[in-house]
Amino acid sequence: MKKFSKIIFVGLLTIVMGCNDAIDIRQPGRLDAINAFQSVDDLQQGLLAVYNQWDVTPEIALSSNFTDELSVGFDSGGQGFALYDFVINAGSTAASDFWVRNYRANNRATILIEAAGNITPEAGEEDLYNDILAQAHAVRAYANLELMTYFSPDPSDDSTLAAPVVDFVAPLDYQPLRNTTGELWDYIDSDLNTALSLSNVQSDPTFISTDGINAMRARAALTRKDYPTAQTLASQLLSAYPLANRTQYENMWLDADNTEVIFKLERTLNDAYDGQGTTGSVAAGGWAGARFAFVDATLSGSPYFEMDRGVFNLLDPADIRFDVVVAPSSVINPDYATDPDPVNTDILVIQKYPGSEGRPLMNDLKVFRSSEMLLILAEARVAINNDLTGAANLIKQLRDARFGSAQAAPSFGSAQEAYAGILEERRIELCYEGHRYKDLKRLGTAANRGVDRDVTDCTTQSGACTLSASDFRFTLPIPIIEINANNGIGGQQNPGY
Amino acid sequence: MKLKLTWLMTLFMAFVMQLSFAQEKTITGTVTTKDDGLPLPGASVIVKGTTRGAQTDFDGNYSLKASAGETLVFSYVGMKNTEMLVGSGSTINVAMEFDNQLEEVVVTGYKTQTKATSNVATVRVSAETIENRPNASFVQTLAGQAPGLNITTSSGQPGGNSLVQLRGVASINGNTEPLFIIDGAPVDEDNFRSLNPQDIASIDVLKDAGATAIYGNRGANGVIVIKTRQGNFGEGLKVNYNGFVAYSTLQDNDYNRMSSQQLLAYERDRGNGAGAGNSTGKFNPGNGTPLTDAQIAAAPNFDWTDFFFRTGVTQSHTLSLTSGSENTSQFTSFGFQDTEGVLEDSDLKRFNLRTNVSGKSTNEKFRYGANLSINYSKSNEPNSIGSTAINRNYVLGAFESVPYITDQDYVDGADLLAPLSFTNTPLFLLDRLRTYTRFEEEVKAIGSANFNYDITDWLTAGVVLSADYQSEFLTRAEGPTSFNALLFGGAENPTSGFQFQQSTRQFSYNQVTSLNFNKTFADKHTVDVGLYTEYFKAHLRTFGYRQDGLDPKTFFPGDGSGFIAPANGLFQDTANANILNAGLFSYFASLDYDYDTKYGFGATVRRDASYRFAGSNRWGTFWSVSGRWNISNEAFMDDSAIDNLKLRASYGTAGNQDIVGAGYFGGPDLTEDFFATGSGYGNANSIALAQLGNRSLQWETITTLNIGLDFGVWNSRLRGSFDVYQRQTTELFQSTPLSATTGVTQQNANTGELFNRGFDFIVDYDVFRAKSAGDFNFTVGIVGNFNETELQDIPNPEGEIIGLGRNGGKLFEIFTLRYVGVNPANGNLLYLTANGDVTENPDADNDRVWLDKNIIPDWNGSFKLNFDYKNFFLQTQFNYVFGVDRFDNDYASLIDQDDVGQFNLSADVLREWSQPGDVTDIPSPSASNRNSFGNSDRFLRSADFVRLRFASFGYNVPAKYLENTGLTNARVYVNGENLFTWTEWRGFDASSRGGQRSYPTPRTISVGFELGF
Repeated sequence: MKKFSKIIFVGLLTIVMGCNDAIDIRQPGRLDAINAFQSVDDLQQGLLAVYNQWDVTPEIALSSNFTDELSVGFDSGGQGFALYDFVINAGSTAASDFWVRNYRANNRATILIEAAGNITPEAGEEDLYNDILAQAHAVRAYANLELMTYFSPDPSDDSTLAAPVVDFVAPLDYQPLRNTTGELWDYIDSDLNTALSLSNVQSDPTFISTDGINAMRARAALTRKDYPTAQTLASQLLSAYPLANRTQYENMWLDADNTEVIFKLERTLNDAYDGQGTTGSVAAGGWAGARFAFVDATLSGSPYFEMDRGVFNLLDPADIRFDVVVAPSSVINPDYATDPDPVNTDILVIQKYPGSEGRPLMNDLKVFRSSEMLLILAEARVAINNDLTGAANLIKQLRDARFGSAQAAPSFGSAQEAYAGILEERRIELCYEGHRYKDLKRLGTAANRGVDRDVTDCTTQSGACTLSASDFRFTLPIPIIEINANNGIGGQQNPGY
Repeated sequence: MKLKLTWLMTLFMAFVMQLSFAQEKTITGTVTTKDDGLPLPGASVIVKGTTRGAQTDFDGNYSLKASAGETLVFSYVGMKNTEMLVGSGSTINVAMEFDNQLEEVVVTGYKTQTKATSNVATVRVSAETIENRPNASFVQTLAGQAPGLNITTSSGQPGGNSLVQLRGVASINGNTEPLFIIDGAPVDEDNFRSLNPQDIASIDVLKDAGATAIYGNRGANGVIVIKTRQGNFGEGLKVNYNGFVAYSTLQDNDYNRMSSQQLLAYERDRGNGAGAGNSTGKFNPGNGTPLTDAQIAAAPNFDWTDFFFRTGVTQSHTLSLTSGSENTSQFTSFGFQDTEGVLEDSDLKRFNLRTNVSGKSTNEKFRYGANLSINYSKSNEPNSIGSTAINRNYVLGAFESVPYITDQDYVDGADLLAPLSFTNTPLFLLDRLRTYTRFEEEVKAIGSANFNYDITDWLTAGVVLSADYQSEFLTRAEGPTSFNALLFGGAENPTSGFQFQQSTRQFSYNQVTSLNFNKTFADKHTVDVGLYTEYFKAHLRTFGYRQDGLDPKTFFPGDGSGFIAPANGLFQDTANANILNAGLFSYFASLDYDYDTKYGFGATVRRDASYRFAGSNRWGTFWSVSGRWNISNEAFMDDSAIDNLKLRASYGTAGNQDIVGAGYFGGPDLTEDFFATGSGYGNANSIALAQLGNRSLQWETITTLNIGLDFGVWNSRLRGSFDVYQRQTTELFQSTPLSATTGVTQQNANTGELFNRGFDFIVDYDVFRAKSAGDFNFTVGIVGNFNETELQDIPNPEGEIIGLGRNGGKLFEIFTLRYVGVNPANGNLLYLTANGDVTENPDADNDRVWLDKNIIPDWNGSFKLNFDYKNFFLQTQFNYVFGVDRFDNDYASLIDQDDVGQFNLSADVLREWSQPGDVTDIPSPSASNRNSFGNSDRFLRSADFVRLRFASFGYNVPAKYLENTGLTNARVYVNGENLFTWTEWRGFDASSRGGQRSYPTPRTISVGFELGF
């Protein structure tokens, strides 16, 4: 009996001693935060994850769906109707996506930048180390530039409210209020300057290097209406990246030519964006072409959105941009305006993102191109010294390249006409690239232009045909998802919401 | 000393033996029933501890030989056993009492108590109500049998998982199902398809904190303790065979779908589809001219529901052997069941082996038991059930296909590629039936062993070791010549098709070590103290691959001969593997005190550690107190008609450490920050942030107050119990919003409260009680539960979360637009604004309101009517569920006029609005707002029902006919499941919580017999 008690005692003891293996369990395959970044190579891999946060398909989706680039397709299943009807409120995906996605990118880039601070590069690694940091700062600057563009009611007025400046890894209970536009510009400029000072390699256009940083600076200056800076940078880049010829231009949209690409985001098979994403929503993601069609960029590829007739009418069939943007399988009805059923008889299929690597609708996302620099330059010419002829000649330069022959220069009688001309050229040169919403916000009032959909497109839908560029909806509201967590910011909502 | 004692004993034994040999005599007597004094024929009389015995004759008389000092045991089915000591006389008359308390014994915590001395809310479901039921999983059979236990089966897949919830829903994200323990082994609560219900001896459902606190952070949702059958010591070999054949069919619907003639005429009217001559489908493809009346009349009518659903045949065989010698006993059973689901391509075949052994030392101080069950099952399980995939969901094909396309229209997959027509939906699915394979093979073994040693007569040490192992192997293959393979492969990959195989192995080990003290002082004070430790560890291992590209010449599902090397990056083959481990450790104690079976007090305390909270609050403490007053044992109740009355109360806490509701391995280290390596920009390897930890994470705590009353009146002719309870969940694990500036927008954290309040009852009444064997017995009974949920402290300033509910409201309360009907002026749909004004254009956001409706039942339970007479018996169980509101999206599809020409419709659309002044419930097919407001209560329907869930009619063959056949008992029966349902719900299965196009549970009729040798 005594013996038995001993056995039980020892047994109990074993259980008590042995319990830690049941409650102290480390799952395999876990990478702790402190072990994640230990070398410059690790930082390089971390940078690839930071880049993966960068996407412009939400800009493409918002801009095209909200402004006058699209009509509802014959194969529509109801995608994007609310946004097409100009419905934007604090609960809209547009608001939450731009806010959340950019703060996420800001956070991930900051984590990498802070991790880099703990690593001292070995001899021979300094350049790589600096280049990684330069890119991380640049990605972070782009995220904050988006916050600026979409949430500041007027990025050219430093006193307005923009978005909170978060230049550190915020604790989970952080609940900041909005900073002013001037303060957010300081943060963006500081990142861009740091990036520029550290950048030391002119890499291929799928990674941000000195030229990409300068292109971003040019666009930032344009957004802030700092036209002298924009002019300097744009003209410098335009000379480094000449406009593509017609073949190069066509190949650029097949991802086969980079002549005028300053920076693009690579999209490839089996990456995180290799899929449809969220169709008919600003959340987007996925293939760029899936913003307009489900299957492919042809008539039979289920195009739920088609070209706005107005955009189509601006395109000359002799212009290479017509060939790039309009799918050959489109059904073009010259009498669309009088046809009783234009939805089914006039089908304009968008082909700007035809696909690559064998995958329909999947293309690299061109973020900065030299033609944008040209148009920035034209705008700056008008703004700085009312150089209407200079602006007209730049537009002629662009059209010459696109038509492959000399075109007449437009003639502008006033700054307003020049701005309107620039806006119209942007509408076709940069269509479906996510610019129209920003362009109308910045330039629409000066050019006396707003959203202007073709009557056949909007009346068959719901009658939402025009919207003034001064409308409050060209600034996004602080999203409800943020207000739920951060009550104070709810009292700083943008005007109109 | 020890030697001396043994020697003394020997002397004493010898003396007794001599005495008994000397005094043997013949005892005679009459056995009667105490109720009415009538003689009881067929009662058995046995001399205790011997094989000597006799039976009473027709007049209740018996005669046998026994010695003074021996004990006679009188027994009769349905009567309490009576023991009489043989004294000096030779006549012993006995009046036997009816025994109506089948639940004499209850399992509470880690021990077994008599019903009278139990302080807690438990209910026992006995083997009689589980065996011979044709449900592949015993959990389905439990529906309606225990008050407060709500079981919802939303799939007709044989052996499919059921949702088991006890007294409401106590968690939002966490596990809401009870802990299941089979013979001491905690088991996976979602997987019982491989187990044989015929092996089950009893199921105890533990409901209140007094009973569940001792299970610590796994007992928050109640505990279901299952015991399997055992042999008895000193019993000869008994062989039993149970077998049945069952036929299952689809339950009825009330959707009133159109015939070909109705549909084609409607299509012609609408100018769309085969009736209008502009279809791209197989029937009357686009010739441009509408069908004539004669052509419509001649169109075929094919029933696709009949095609995709069938009469499923089940056969089940269980052979069991029990035997026992003086110190060992065993139960062994072999089972085989083959169940066809009513949906084509769904079935379950399984083989079971169980062996339970128990034994003891000669002095009975050491006792042991071992239970082992090994099971193998293979099931075909179609996937994509419930989806909108017209090329994958057979149920969609069955419910919505046009009837004028027939199976004769099918040639092969390639034939369906162009033109791609929605109208050909049933043919896509027919092709899939022939070319797609999906089956799961499972080995499941549950073993447990227990050892107990009485250190003294009041101190016992024990250990229970148990293990649950399951290995599941999933195979899916889409044949290379199938329509789907050809469609998605396209020109890029002409040898498309894929094969996917996944192995999932899971092992868990549990060990409870205990020391029990039990002593009665001064005859009336009984104290029981238990000290325990529990150790739990579980391991998960998975791996699998997906191969894209199969060569039709050598392809066979599950085999790799047809694999084609990937041609380019478009179709990448992938491999996966995963390892997860889990563990728990606890120590706990229980105290029970009883005074003369009149008053009782119990308390438990448990300290629990979970691997999930290693980085935060690893240890939790849970406790309970309980008490009872056996009022009927008081002297003042002696002459009352009330023969059992017991008041119980308990209060205490239990935890839910499975806060993500994903089983042992879900959310294993949510307290930590992690990075992960994997595909990044440009599909290159990268290091990315994977998880931001919550350092303050802990278990959800559920505090339960329970007050109950057990009663029995008129010799327990009326009997039952009533319990009222409140369950309060605190530290509710749910999403809490964070500022996006932190890099995330929400984190799951412990915040908010949820209440479940309600009452349970079970009442049985013997309307007619047999006075002697073969008389008419008629028993009615009702089981019920009322439960309401209430949310509090929702973590945002509005105090409401759409989809979850609002402060003070129901859990999962529906929040949507209110639909009021069709505008007679123009056929548009009419809604209410938030203020109650009628409008055609409500604000889809701001006009939504809380409807005070949800999918969780307010009332559920059953009532029964049981009869037996002579050797016939009839049992019925009617289940009821009230207070469930569900969206009938199947009906919504069937009256979606935009589907004309592509799918079949309900004949209801024939009364659609067509001219001003029409008053109807179906809008105009061109109503301008028909697609504008997809979310409203238009299709919200009550899914309340009363159902004849089970009926059994049978005959026990009388013993006299079995003489000389070698049989000891024989029974034949006919059973029915889900025979009739009374409900307003128009779909196939009111009891399901499945969404649209899901697999309904079947109606089943079975015929079986039971033979004992």
